[in-house]
Parts: sequence; C-alpha cells; structure tokens
Amino acid sequence: MTTNQVNSGQLAASFRDPSGFLFSRGGVLYRQVNRAYEQEYLRLMESGLYGKLVKAGLLIPHVEVDPLPAGGETAFRVIQPERVPFISYPYEWSFGQLKDAALATLSIQRRALRAGMSLKDASAYNIQFVRGKATLIDTLSFEIYKEGQPWVAYRQFCQHFLAPLALMALKDIRLNQLLRVYIDGVPLDLASQLLPWKTRLNFGLLTNIHLHAGAQKKYAGEEVKSRGGATFGRQAMTGLIDSLDATVRKLNWNPGGTEWGNYYDITNYSDAAFEHKKQLVDEWVKRVNPALAWDLGANNGIFSRVASSNGSFVVAFDIDPAAVEQNYRQAKGEKTENLLPLLLDLTNPSPSLGWANRERDSFGSRGPANLVLALAVIHHLAISNNVPLPQLADFFAETGKWLVVEFVPKSDSQVRKLLASREDIFPNYTREGFEAAFKKRFTIHHAADVHESERVLYLMEGK
Amino acid sequence: MHFAPLPYLDPGSGSFLIQLLIAALLGLAVAVRASWGRIKGWFGIKPKPDEDDDESSE
Repeated sequence: MTTNQVNSGQLAASFRDPSGFLFSRGGVLYRQVNRAYEQEYLRLMESGLYGKLVKAGLLIPHVEVDPLPAGGETAFRVIQPERVPFISYPYEWSFGQLKDAALATLSIQRRALRAGMSLKDASAYNIQFVRGKATLIDTLSFEIYKEGQPWVAYRQFCQHFLAPLALMALKDIRLNQLLRVYIDGVPLDLASQLLPWKTRLNFGLLTNIHLHAGAQKKYAGEEVKSRGGATFGRQAMTGLIDSLDATVRKLNWNPGGTEWGNYYDITNYSDAAFEHKKQLVDEWVKRVNPALAWDLGANNGIFSRVASSNGSFVVAFDIDPAAVEQNYRQAKGEKTENLLPLLLDLTNPSPSLGWANRERDSFGSRGPANLVLALAVIHHLAISNNVPLPQLADFFAETGKWLVVEFVPKSDSQVRKLLASREDIFPNYTREGFEAAFKKRFTIHHAADVHESERVLYLMEGK
Repeated sequence: MHFAPLPYLDPGSGSFLIQLLIAALLGLAVAVRASWGRIKGWFGIKPKPDEDDDESSE
C-alpha cells in the first residue's frame, strides 16, 4: 500500500468522497466519518441496516474507535473496518465474480431502501471478496432515500457492472479488460455499439444500455427537470432494481474450450508425478506456514488448495478466464473463505491506475507475499515470453519471501512443444543455468526430482 | 419538480432522464408481479422466498 499513501497517511483511493476518507496509522486502516455525514452514518447504524448487511456478509464490519481524527474538526467518528486480506479489482475478476459483485450491490440497495436509505454510488471498486463473498467495503456509500428521486448510482451501476457483464457474456469474455482502460466503467455508447444487435430484443439490455446510451448523448449537460411533474416513485425504484437484477441474472458465461480449460487432462504428468508434487507442496507449505500465499499460474487451483487447506490466505492468479471461473465456482461451492481466484497476465500484470496513478495498486505493490508458488510456469515465461532467467529470479525475489518453483527442462514434452515452432535461443535454459540464476537471489533449501517426470521442484528463500 | 443539486458523482442528465422515462413501465411491472403473486396465492401457490428479505427471518 506504500505507493498509494499521500503525506498525511490519507489513502489516495478515497479522495473523491466528502463523507469521509481512509487513512492509515501504524499499519492499521481507519476511516474517518466527516460531520457532513453524521445524519447518514447514524441512520445506517441505528436503523438496523448495518447489522442486517453485516449479518448477510454484504457489508464490511467495523468498530468505532476513540477519536484520532486525521482531519481535525471535520471529524464526526473514526471507524476501524475489518481488514480485507487482499484488494482485487474488477479487471482481475472472472465473469462469476463480477456477476456476484453486481448482485450483491443490488441486494444491498434493496435492503437500504427498506431502511429509508439508498446507495449513492455503485462502484465495482467498492466491492471486495471477503471470506469468499462479494462485500461492500465503503461504509459511507449510503444516503438518506428521498422518494421521487431517481437512483443517482444508476449510471455507475450500468457502466461498472451491467455493460461489462453483457459484453463478456454476449460478445467476448476478454472485454472485461475494458475496465482496465475505463476506470469509471465501460462507456455505455461503446457497450451499445459492441453488443450484438439482438440484445435490443432483451428489455433489460434495451433500456439499461442501448436507450440509456442514447439518452446520455441526447441530454448531455441539460439541467435535470422532470417533464409534467413526473417523479421516480418508490415503486419505480423497486422496479428498476428488479429489472437490473433480472437482467444481470440472465447473463451467463460458461468456461470451456479455452487455453487451459482441460489442462490437467492433457499434461504429460502421470498420477504418481502429480501426487508427488502435491505432497512436496504440502510439506513445504507446512514448513513455511505463510499468512499470504500467491499461486502464480494457478490454473483451476489444485495446488492453491493445498496451501489454503493449510490455513494460508491464497490468491490464485491465472491468465485464463475459464480456469479462474472454474476455480471461483469451486471455491464458492465449497464455501472456501481463504482462496481468491483472480485473472492476471504475468507477462503484463495489473499496473497502477487512476488519478496520479494512485487510485488502484499495481500487482507488485500489493505484495510481497510470504510464499509464491510458481508451478509449471517458468518455461512459459522463459521460453514463450523470452524473459532471461536472471530477470525471472529478480521478479520472484521481489514478489515473495519464499518460493516454491518448478523447473521444466527442455527435454520435457511440454517445452519441446513450445520450441517446436521456433529457434532455440535459450542456451542457458538448463537445470544448472536455472539454479545459477536463482542462487543469486535465493537460498535453495530443497531440490526434489518429481517422480516419473523430468521436472524439479525447489523450495527457496529470498536472500 | 426540480431534483436535488447534483451529487458529488455526476449521475449524468441522460441517466436521470431515462429513469424518469421508464418509471411508469418499471412501476407497472412491480404492480403486475404483485397482483400475479396474489392470483397465484388464490390457487394455493406460495411465492418463492425473497433471498433479500431478511425481515421475516428475524
């Protein structure tokens, strides 16, 4: 979190909100509630809405702490929210994760309306996965509901959730990456152009994306006055949330037919090699006992689960949207609370984004992890992506304190495939060359030949 | 009626007006669903529990 702190300890991600802000003291994260937000905060806490949302796992729990306000007389209260083990962003989520985040937002809005409140923003960045569930982390997102007013967060909901979900489900799963370019969500005119024509026959997508985009263009900058005294009553608000909910629920995407979708069926591993690898990983995870482990190239999370079942919080990164989706569905089905599957291209990891590049943390600045698992991934980085071994050692040394890494030699059939269509310009890609490069940054504690394979598994500790 | 000053995140005039334009339809849908629920009720069909409805469980 070091990059995203401004001088006062105030965190850059929350600068837009006049209701309060996040700050950190002594490594602990606090949120100041400003006087301007007193009425709303008290309504949230006293109406029972807070308790219900927390009980349902939809809102991050917090405790009020003795005032140590960062902002002087503007402070009303200071709260200490529960720590989120790993902050992730919508461009790193699988389809199912973004969909669950959207449904959680709508569910929160329904409950808020019953308590006479309403969400004033519906940003996907306000949702994080806590104990495996999509959870609102911005306690100050609520305002007093004024009947007759349209939903102020409607545009944001459509741009952050509905448009990317529709594009992913109905056009191409990779279009979630638009969220990385457009930090306030996918512009609706762009979504409207990219979506197939037949989506105009879907009432929810017709109104909330296509007509919505048209209205934005037509009425841009106009003063908002209702015509003929029309207002947006409670029943219309309920109808809007129901319509968005039904539209989101009907959007589906099923993994399959992609890069690693059936990876473990097509590998050259024998069952004995696989079991031996699992056993080594289990042994070494127990030895290191990491609080936070990152599995880089996690596929659908078989080895991530070896670590998470030992009690570590595991972030399982993979480049393949199908593998991440499968992993998320399995974790959700098994109610695993300490495993977070995420989408990441290791050769081009998430950068720092937003205002002054300080709103969203890069992949690297969210580390280092206590343990990094890099299984069956080195050959992709070294051979497919041409990264020299010393640079790989540097990257892993910055990413984690401990490293469990698998070396896959040139004689391995998977590497032969990678080299089949190109010149072999990797004279140093040998076990000796690999160890020499990594010894500069790591102490090698163990090197184990994986049974019935030519691969070697290492346990290393950063120097 | 005039609406409150624009909040700190500009919701966009178009995004407000589209909601006003479809308000009647949205409200109607809610009313139809409610009546349909009552009609089904006469035939003894119980409505599906609303997963957001935590009022009844407490």
